Amino acid sequence: MSSAPLLRRILHGRGIWPAVPALAYLFVFLALPMLTLLAFGFVTIDRGRIVADTWTLGYLKAALADDLVWRLMWRSFWVAAVSSVLTLLLAYPVAYLFAEAKGIWRTLILVAVVSPLLTSALVRAYAWIVILGGRRGLVNQTLLSLGLIEQPLRILNTDWAVLIGMTQIHLPFMILPLLAVLAERDRRLEEASLNLGASQTGTFFRVVVPMSVPAIFAGLALVFAVSYTNFIVPQLLGGGSYSTLAVQVYEQTIVVLDWTRGAVLATILLSTCFAFVLAIVAFGNRLARWNEAAA
Amino acid sequence: MKKNLAPIDRIGRFVLGAVAAFSLLLLVAPSLIVVAISFEPRGFIAFPPSGLSLRWYEHVFANRQLTDSVVVSLWVSLAVAGITLALGVPAAFASVRGTFAGKAAANAFLLAPQMMPGMVIGIASLFFGAYFAFRASNAMLILALSVFCLPFVIRIAMARLAGLDPRLDEASANLGAGKLETFVRVTLPQLGPALVAAAAFTFIEAFDNVTVALFTSDVRGRPLPVELYYLVQYDSTPAIAAISALEIGLSFAIMLVLARTVGLERLGR
Repeated sequence: MSSAPLLRRILHGRGIWPAVPALAYLFVFLALPMLTLLAFGFVTIDRGRIVADTWTLGYLKAALADDLVWRLMWRSFWVAAVSSVLTLLLAYPVAYLFAEAKGIWRTLILVAVVSPLLTSALVRAYAWIVILGGRRGLVNQTLLSLGLIEQPLRILNTDWAVLIGMTQIHLPFMILPLLAVLAERDRRLEEASLNLGASQTGTFFRVVVPMSVPAIFAGLALVFAVSYTNFIVPQLLGGGSYSTLAVQVYEQTIVVLDWTRGAVLATILLSTCFAFVLAIVAFGNRLARWNEAAA
Repeated sequence: MKKNLAPIDRIGRFVLGAVAAFSLLLLVAPSLIVVAISFEPRGFIAFPPSGLSLRWYEHVFANRQLTDSVVVSLWVSLAVAGITLALGVPAAFASVRGTFAGKAAANAFLLAPQMMPGMVIGIASLFFGAYFAFRASNAMLILALSVFCLPFVIRIAMARLAGLDPRLDEASANLGAGKLETFVRVTLPQLGPALVAAAAFTFIEAFDNVTVALFTSDVRGRPLPVELYYLVQYDSTPAIAAISALEIGLSFAIMLVLARTVGLERLGR
């Protein structure tokens, strides 16, 4: 039966052909648009058309020489960095608790983690406006009625509101990778550590945490990327005059309608985002290898 | 475990428990507060609400612009779920079972959209369309959102396919079933729950998405997230809470279906 291997090949979908429609789709609707976006930063555009023979590095140079761009990039960076670390600090105990929990508790924790993921970020940003906003905001109402403060705190439309909103909205992205790793971990090392007289706390920091380093950095990279490029939260919780690099991309493209500027800034946003993410991943890998060597 | 905890461990356990409790509260509370506020009878938001009324729900349902946007969003999301399933499931087959040159590169390209922020996909689509004199429209929104959502479908289908035994398909073929028959009667039923999950997840993602939609959607006939975005930016009436509560309800209904069919743990991966 010489046709059997061939039959099997086709049957198993061993060729590339089932993926061809998806690959073609992504080529037309992702790769070509991305090239267009890139190109738009280096030409003069008139009503969506590239004006011939206007290739120039001038727009990129102008953007890189602009103080404002650097200041916005710095704010995008530190907001994303702080919020990634905050999500890690909040996420780890939840993931650890999940790994220890049994039965109904597991389900409840999982529902709590996944349900915000299924609620739009817009709804959650609105919730934070309600909670943090003005005199009628939940936080101020409570603090005022308890007599802890005399004047309402100004939280909405500050860095704080942006940090709080981003951290909460991206929390599930950090919990889920940790949850998977911690729940399925090999516990024999911990038991050995405890049997040898180490404290639970010591075991936690010297055995459990180092073992989860890859998941920690995967989470950090993901949360950093989504925070760095988020323009909804800074706009809604930071207020009208609050801006980041991502907000600026939105405004240039949709409000100011300066597409060249929008394209240049989007290119800068995306390439710096990739650079930071690669740095986080590389650092995580180095740390994991160092851990293995130490163990 | 429970006997004679060292003082440091008592503190450690307390801190761990307290932070976990705080995080869980932080995850759930905002949505619950929004739902509570939606029943406010007065014209401005307050928590706890001063009474229980469905006034703002009536207001939402009477608002033609909002109900129209819901209909737009439903159609867009259905179309996106359909396109991504049709493209993503066969692609997942090739990714998992295929052996061909350049497979790693093909897989990376298939999952590439998940590294792109929605905003960048939206702007790129807008510019690309403009180059061919296509304006932002809900057709453009569907095409762009399908790019954005394709990796979700491919990843869920891949995870399920990797767990299937290809020998079942071989057995079916050896017993004389054709390729199509094998796919429909052997492979597809095993994939079923994963496909439901992928479709549901994509539907919610498309229904909620604002980052792609702000750049690509039609100026007339906006989808709900864009409508909501402009509302939230300039106003904070309890009407927004009512829309949000309805969205939360929809997501929960879909999540219940998911929990029944596939289990929640798979969603994040």
